[in-house]
This record gives sequence, structure tokens and C-alpha cells, in this order.
Amino acid sequence: MWRGLWTLVARAARGPRSPRPCTRQGSGVPVPGSGTTIFALSSGHGRCGIAVIRTSGPASGHALRSLTAPRDLPPARSACLRLLSHPRSGEPLDRALVLWFPGPQSFTGEDCAEFHVHGGPAVVSGVLQALGSVPGLRPAEAGEFTRRAFAHGKLSLTEVEGLADLIHAETEAQRRQALRQLDGELGHLCHGWAGTLTQALAHVEAYIDFGEDDNLEEGVLEQANSEVRELQLALGAHLRDARRGQRLRSGAHVVVAGPPNAGKSSLVNLLSRKPVSIVSPEPGTTRDVLETPVDLAGFPALLSDTAGLREGAGPVEQEGVRRARERLEQADLILAVLDASDLASPSSRNFLDTVVAPAGAGSPNGNSQRLLLVLNKSDLLPPGGPDPSPNLRPHLLLSCLTGEGLDGLLEALRKELAEVCGDPSTGPPLLTRARHQHHLQGCLDALGHYTQTKDLALAAEALRLARGHLARITGGGGTEEILDIIFRDFCVGK
Amino acid sequence: MFSLRNCGLWVAASLTKKRLTLARFSGDSAAPLATKFDVIVIGGGHAGTEAAAAAARCGSRTLLLTHRVDTIGQMSCNPSFGGIGKGHLMREVDALDGLCSRICDQSGVHYKVLNRRKGPAVWGLRAQIDRKLYKQNMQKEILNTPLLTVQEGAVEDLILTEPEPEYTGKCRVSGVVLADGSTVHAESVVLTTGTFLRGVIVIGLEMHPAGRLGDQPSIGLAHTLEKLGFVVGRLKTGTPPRIAKESINFSILNKQTPDNPSIPFSFISETVWIKPEDQLPCYLTHTNPKVDEIVLENLHLNSHIKETTRGPRYCPSIESKVLRFPNRLHQVWLEPEGMDSDLIYPQGLSVTLPAELQEKMITCIKGLEKAKMIQPGYGVQYDYLDPRQITPSLETHLVQRLFFAGQINGTTGYEEAAAQGVIAGINASLRVKRKPPFVVSRTEGYIGVLIDDLTTLGTNEPYRMFTSRAEFRLSLRPDNADSRLTFRGYKEVGCVSQQRYERASWMKSSLEEGISVLKSIEFSSSKWKKLIPEASISIGKSLPLSHL
Repeated sequence: MWRGLWTLVARAARGPRSPRPCTRQGSGVPVPGSGTTIFALSSGHGRCGIAVIRTSGPASGHALRSLTAPRDLPPARSACLRLLSHPRSGEPLDRALVLWFPGPQSFTGEDCAEFHVHGGPAVVSGVLQALGSVPGLRPAEAGEFTRRAFAHGKLSLTEVEGLADLIHAETEAQRRQALRQLDGELGHLCHGWAGTLTQALAHVEAYIDFGEDDNLEEGVLEQANSEVRELQLALGAHLRDARRGQRLRSGAHVVVAGPPNAGKSSLVNLLSRKPVSIVSPEPGTTRDVLETPVDLAGFPALLSDTAGLREGAGPVEQEGVRRARERLEQADLILAVLDASDLASPSSRNFLDTVVAPAGAGSPNGNSQRLLLVLNKSDLLPPGGPDPSPNLRPHLLLSCLTGEGLDGLLEALRKELAEVCGDPSTGPPLLTRARHQHHLQGCLDALGHYTQTKDLALAAEALRLARGHLARITGGGGTEEILDIIFRDFCVGK
Repeated sequence: MFSLRNCGLWVAASLTKKRLTLARFSGDSAAPLATKFDVIVIGGGHAGTEAAAAAARCGSRTLLLTHRVDTIGQMSCNPSFGGIGKGHLMREVDALDGLCSRICDQSGVHYKVLNRRKGPAVWGLRAQIDRKLYKQNMQKEILNTPLLTVQEGAVEDLILTEPEPEYTGKCRVSGVVLADGSTVHAESVVLTTGTFLRGVIVIGLEMHPAGRLGDQPSIGLAHTLEKLGFVVGRLKTGTPPRIAKESINFSILNKQTPDNPSIPFSFISETVWIKPEDQLPCYLTHTNPKVDEIVLENLHLNSHIKETTRGPRYCPSIESKVLRFPNRLHQVWLEPEGMDSDLIYPQGLSVTLPAELQEKMITCIKGLEKAKMIQPGYGVQYDYLDPRQITPSLETHLVQRLFFAGQINGTTGYEEAAAQGVIAGINASLRVKRKPPFVVSRTEGYIGVLIDDLTTLGTNEPYRMFTSRAEFRLSLRPDNADSRLTFRGYKEVGCVSQQRYERASWMKSSLEEGISVLKSIEFSSSKWKKLIPEASISIGKSLPLSHL
């Protein structure tokens, strides 16, 4: 049998008439992987009785069986009560309703499973982690369920029209979520790792493209190898230490922003019913971001007081302004506070132009952020109300001093937060963390393949894969970045 | 002694050779020159020859217009073809039945595959080529291509008419106006003018309008394109001096011998034309601190380096190497220019110093102490058109049926030019037949990577192919270019000969047979481990290698 095989291989490699030393493989173009199975929390987060976790993809049935072992799959499309337990440890997680939708009769057209679990964060995170430990499953990317449904022809034409908006909204929400999670130690670490890995990849690429007849310095490959080994150690240590990483901050992020002395801190104190921020008539009193977890109209929220936005203050306050702007980027909802009696001042106008106007719904670039415009100090206004400014968007009048208008504000907050918290894609921080871990683990696995592979092109592919995983967290890693490093570090070309 | 004036004399001498003005060269000599063609290709360089031949292979009556027929197939810079990434492009051009790989198999003097110690995905087929033989063989090929007519003439302007309403573009090209005022009409026009658009040659502080040493630049055409609203940029490149072979002391230098056996570039070449033992060697020498000194002391005499125009980062002049990476020894490869040529091309010594200083610099280098410079190195600055103005089929967005290929799109290198030439020629022909365009995607070939990068990102330096640009590097190997492109070329376009198609089909079925036999063998993982101990087999884990 072996002999026959070798003759055939040799014949294939030789060509019809004469020897041809180039050996070949018949593989064509790689098919993009749609074979993976994804999972995500599909219901909103915040206070709720029941949370729905959904999977889609070929391993859905396997995942369902793994969590409900030793039971068989429930009948298609009918709810069954099952005890969920962790597939590895066997630890019970929750008693839940499960549903089994074999494809193509499902939302995405693939095999889908739904877990209706109790809404507590511990249960949800336990089930998500259990799903993540099932081979072939990974956390869903933003908009991925919708995309799969579209790919399998499950969305009608009218629904398709909304698709781009929907995916964009989900991506935006996830981007803000990721920004928040990356703010701090983990982000710093990831960017450092990405930098090291990009450098190592660039040097390996240089060795492939120029190693042969350009004079690269000695030891380019050895240095890349040692960098990869260090990175493996750092990633491994990080993944083993579960406590490290990000601070989990639950709830909708509500950021109070406005020009100096508009009464932001007064509003924060009023809403949190405790003196969180120092209040004074002097502009620039708040210089840092002050956070306080509050219950706003029944929704968990993280309320941030920020420095008044203005130019030209001292360096400490400027840093406060920078942080305030950064926090605005990450906000789920902005409470924009202006002094109702001072709408014509340059700082108010500037704030209206740079923060309020771009955040407005339906802005041309589609980056709309939720924003409530609050005109504070209504007690200082003449009886006729504020100046009839034609360009002012819908707003709420409030007096932090007398408490007038607070009920209206709370009602408006309730409406906005209901939408923010009801949006499943913003997800709990837990899911973001699961995604980070998934990609860090993927990166580490790929680095392992790099060190084991002898064929340099295959090894470089493993490094590219590793960089791709980090890029899902930090971005970057494109060809030009690699080439820039090559041409910066080496004198190549003739 | 090597002033431009002398170069001018040298040029004039070559111009006095037998020249035919507006002579007709036709593969189909019985047919008189028509004034209407399907496709006109302007330029007879590496993009132009491939474009013209591809259009003719697709069945279009094609006219190749060039300043001089005797410069068709001229290798105006290095005497070599291929390399890492570039060899990949050549295999793909060949898979579409292009010319350059076959011509190289008939004209090389030193065949060597680079990167043999690395994986087969990054092998770089490369060869030193005999300039004269390449030109001869290319001219023979072009002048004997059915449906292809060759005519000498400088194109001054384009003939434009109303656009076709079903396509975008503000007008449509329908022919060209030559320098003598005559017109030739065509359904599509391919522009492959290389560095000739407002080309300027620079040596030291002297500047001289020319597309290539000894050739007139195209100025009228540059004006026309600018008037049409094309965004024009400026790039520079350079070429090293040429040295007399007998004046070099090779005995003290590192010798590089060719591969034995030689690997041909073309899928349909059984072997190359020359035996390995008859091939010529290359030699390696290095620069030294004295070279740095001469460069640094004379920067004020070097207008090419001072200019802000972008040059290639990977193919830098010796001046920019010295400036950016000081105190290093830089490689200089001494490459033969041909079997019976008495010139040596010092690869790595691209320079634009005044000629006297170039000569002084050369004699500082080991092995070149008594070297005689025959022709000085020079810089070329030229216009290119922002390639984001063309579609993936290389047709311009602005002018319907006008195609651009080669250095005009901001690329550098014979192979990059040839790759675009094939695609432009095919699409110019398809456009005439009102068929959908032929586009190679990034997942299908380096040609796709090249064109996608250019048309979506543009470029601000001469663009060169590297394997690191290809995301699907592992599957885009030089050895499987035929399975990726030959069948498409045969079925969708008709640019591939029956012979090549049959050969590719045979290869494909043999491979499939081999793979199915391999797949039919099943053992337990422990038995595999025993049979192939060096293979790492891990169970139940998805390896990246499992996609391969």
C-alpha cells in the first residue's frame, strides 16, 4: 500500500513528461469559517427576572447536551425544564427552561439553543462561562446573530434595510463597552503585548521577504523567538490569575457633563441623594471624574460627575477636562447640563456645538449617542421661561436648588435607561471579559504553534493569527504597520 | 567625463542605428494597417507587451504603439526577473498564459530559487536575465502574435467621445492622436507609459527630460490626463552605474553559483534553455566607510536626494542607505548583464551623484579598485496617477474604456508591471465584447493583492510586492498558481491556450487522485506517531494548521 502511494505521489509531482521539483497541494482558497458556534446573552442586563442566553451554530446541540447532561435534547421548539450544570466540573448552575431549535427553522437558520435562566449576574456569568468551556463555542461578535440570520436568508428585504443600522448600533454599544473595559490596567497590558507581537511579526516577515539576499543583522529570528517566549509567559500568567484584569462596573454609564459652573455636581448630588461632589459657586471645582453607583428610576447606573469643559485652565483642570471628554466617549447616556440663565455665554455655546449637537440622534455619521439636555438654575429665570432660542433641542428645565423639575427629569431618565438597559448588545461586562479571555487564550495558543512549527511560513501564519486575536481587543496590526517596522528597523533592498 | 552631454552622444549614437519611422510590424504581415482596432496599447514595456499579447489572445484586434520598436521588451533597470513575492506574480502571469515567464525561461543566465530553506509558500523564483536575449525573444514573440499589430509612434492625445450612459465616467476614449497628427481609432485603450510621463533623468545637479536614458518623455499625454482631471503624483527611482566586466577582480569576491537543476518560471516549460554548468555566476562585495564618506561629503551635489519626491523604501539609493543606516557595510551584488555582455550591474549601488564621483566611489569598493564605469547611475523622476482612480479591472473611473497598467499606477518592478498588463489587456478586450470584467481577488492571487491594495489604498511610494502583503500567503503559492488562475482564464476569458489548459487539468486530476489516496489511509493516532515521529499530532484541539 505504501509503495503504491509513493509511486502515485511521485507521479503527481513529476508532471506528464519530465521531472518538476515543485511539489504542490490541490487546496484552493480557504473558506471563511462559518462553522463556529457563537453564544451571547440575548436579553438586556440590569434588574430582570429571567435572562435569555442563546447559541447559534453546528455545536449548539452539543452545547445543550453538555449543560443538561445526562438528558437528551428536548423536542424541537418546545420548552423543557432542565437542571443546568457545568460540563467540566458538574457543578449545578441553575434550573432553567431550555429550547432547542434545529436549523433551518430557527432565527439564524442554524441550529440554535436558548437557555432561559434566572436573571442574577452570578447565574448568567456561570452559564456563559460554562458555554465558553464547550469546545467549538466562542462569544459572539457584535451583530453576529443578525449577520448569520441574513446570510441564511432569514431576514426579509424590509428587514435587511434596517440591518446596517442595527449592526452599527450593536457595534457602537460594544465599542463603548470595550473602551470602558480597556480603560486601565488591562488596556495598558494589551497594548504592550500587541506592540511586542507586532514587532516580532514584522521581524519574522522581514526575515521571510528579505532574509535571503539582503543583509539583515544577525539574530533577527532569534530575537523574535525570545520575544514570543516572553509574551507566552506574560499571557499565561495573566490568564491563570483570574483576579487580575478589569474592574467590573455594572449598570448603564450615565455621564453628567457641561460647561463650568452649570451645576453638574449639584445634579449628581441630587440624583444620588448624598453629597458625592463638592459644590461651590467657583467654576472648575470638580477636576476629576467622580463615580457613584446609583439607582436611577429603578435601573442600576454608574453616575459620573466630570470637570466643566473649557479651554485654557490650569494643567490639573485641563487633565480633568481630558478625562471628562474620554468619559463622554464611553457614556451610554449623557446628561448635558447648562445654566439656563447663561445660554448665550461662549462656554455654553461651545458646549452646545461640540457635545450636544454631535450627540443628537440622526447625525449624519450615525454615531448618535443618547443625550438629555437639562437646563439648570430655572429658579434664576424670569417668569417667562428661558430665552426662546430657536436652535435649542428639546430640553428639561430643572432647579437643583428648589428641586423643581426633578420628577420630569426622572421620568425622562426612566425612558432612556429602559432603552439602554433593554439593549442586549451592550451586554454585561462579564461577556466583554469572556471575549477578552477568549482572544487572549487564542493568542496564547497561536504563539504555542509558532514555537513548535518548523516551516517558517507556517510559523509566521501562527504569529499572524496571534496578532489577529490581539487586534480584536486593541485594533491595528495591518500590513502597513508591519512594513513600517520592517523599513524602520532594517536596511533592506538593493 | 560622464556628463549628460556625453550620455546624449551615446544616445545619439544608438539612435543613428537603423530606425524606421512609423514602420509597420505586423504578425499578420499580409494585412494592411487598419485605422481601427479593438484595443490599442500604448507602450512596449513589461506592462504594454503583456497587455497587448493578452488582448490579442482574447481575440481582440490589437495595436501596440511604442516610441521605438527596438526597445520593446527592454529591461531598463536590473538584469533580473523574479524574487520573493515577485516570483509569485510571474507564476500567476504565466498561469494566465502571459509572456514574461516563458521568455525568462529562454533568456536567463543564472537561475536560483530564493528562500529554499523556508516553506514552499515563500519560495522566490528568480533569475539573472540576458538583456539582449530577453529583448530579442520578447520582440520575436510580440511580432509573431496573431491579431497583434505593432506600430512606432508617439501618442500626443486621446480621442474622446460621449460616454455610454449605462456606465460611470464623464467621457469615453475612442482612439489616439499621434505626434504626426494622424489618428487611430479603437474600442479600448490601455496606457502603459512607465516613467515616461514628464520623466526627468537626474545625475548630480543635471536634469534632463527623458523617460529612460536615451528616450524622449511623453509630455503631451501628461497634459491631456491632467486636463481630464486625473490626480497626478510624482515618484522617483534610480538605477546603478554599469561597470566593465574585465576591469573587476572577481577572484577576491564571494561567488554565488546558480541552482542545479534550474527551476523554470513557466508551468509549460519543461526546462530552461541553458544547462546549469553553462550559467554565469554572481559575486558579492560590500560598501565600506569610504563610500559613506564620499556620499556624505557631496550631498550638496545631489539634487535627486534633496527632492521631497518619494522614492521606494525597499530599493533605496546608496545615498539614502548611508543617510538612514550609517556606519554599516551594505551589500553590492555584481550581476552579469548577459552571456556576451561585457557589463556588470552592481545591484545595491543605485546612485545619483555626479558621474566623476560615482566613479571615485566605485573604486573604493573591494574587487572594484580598478573598475571602469561604462555608464553612470541616474535617478528618474516621473508622474504617476493615483491608482484609486481605477477600478479592480484597471479601467479608469473618469474615462470609460481607458485602462492604466504598470508604473503609471505607482508600482515598481517588471513583475508588478507584467501582472497589471495581463489584467488590463484581458479587461480591455472583455470591455469591447461587453463581457463582465475579470477580477482576481486577494484570496486568489498576488495579482489580486497588488490591484486591491492599489485601487483601494493608493500608494505614496513606488509599490512593490512582498509576501507579507498577502493575507492568504499559505495558499497563494508559486506552485499552485495554475490551479488558481488557469481554469478561470480558460473558461471566463479565453486567454489561455488549449495546451496549457490540458496540462493544468492533468495536474489537477493527478493531485486530486493523490489526495484521495492519502485520505483513504486511516490509522490510530498512536500508529501515526510511530510512523511519522516528527509530526506533532494533538487530539481534540483545533490547530491553525488544520485549515491547510
